[in-house]
Amino acid sequence: MKNRGWIIVFASALIICAVWWLCITAFSSPAKTVGIYQNGELIEKIDLTTVTGEREIELSGEYGRNIVYISNGSIKMKSADCPDKICVKHGELESSGSPIVCLPNKVIIKFEDASEKIDAKAGAAG
Amino acid sequence: MNTKKVILSAVLTAFALVAFVIESAMPPVVPIYGVKIGLANVFTLFALYALGKRSATAVLLIRVSLAAVFAGQAVSLFYSLTGGVLSLLLMISLKRFFPVKRLWALSVLSAVMHNIGQLTAAVILTSTPQILFYFPILVVSGIIAGAVTGLCAQLVLLRLKHIYDKNF
Ligand SMILES: [Zn+2]
Repeated sequence: MKNRGWIIVFASALIICAVWWLCITAFSSPAKTVGIYQNGELIEKIDLTTVTGEREIELSGEYGRNIVYISNGSIKMKSADCPDKICVKHGELESSGSPIVCLPNKVIIKFEDASEKIDAKAGAAG
Repeated sequence: MNTKKVILSAVLTAFALVAFVIESAMPPVVPIYGVKIGLANVFTLFALYALGKRSATAVLLIRVSLAAVFAGQAVSLFYSLTGGVLSLLLMISLKRFFPVKRLWALSVLSAVMHNIGQLTAAVILTSTPQILFYFPILVVSGIIAGAVTGLCAQLVLLRLKHIYDKNF
């Protein structure tokens, strides 16, 4: 394949992935239920609208502690002992954004899908 | 490997390590794992085209291991090793279809492979399939980073061709 062929291939891949990413982020529901996971297991599910005042959740992993902070309907990683601090630099979790990830301590904070919420409601009703 | 090759491989490894240290000292563009330029890869690519696959393998493996020691993070060793080895295997097996003039395209493929490998390692290690959310971002970042590092290596190789063709 010539240079031009490769440019076309990569440009299309770039566009497909950009559109894909926009679809994931733009059409995600305005969910307010957040799940905190560690080692792939659900630690806690929190409806941010029900938290009044401030709340801190402490998790401990291989590389020390992670402190999750909730206030005014928002959630963030307040501090962490992990070496890279990427989770802290992420800032507040946004419903249209990416989940907060701390790879060293294997912690993930993300909004739960709307579909899961509907399922839960249907389950409760039935 | 002759002595010249061994020495040049060692020099390239040292350069790659310096590039890695400088890059990790800079603040991340986006707070997402795996989104980076990967400057150190320029030297692996150079080694592959100028000196061959054995030199490239040595440059990659020694750089990744030493980088883990310098950064003091055993956890990152697993991720970078998975991504690095997968992308190197891809480059070695496809190199014959890519002359130096199209090295950049091979570099893009290998960077995307590197990011997919790292993402898979992260999913397995944290047993959290939700991280796959990042897949499109990592493909985009791989394409851009691969093109940049590939072009760097390509331009240098084209200019130095008369030197390494004579000596190695
Ligand atoms: Zn962290």
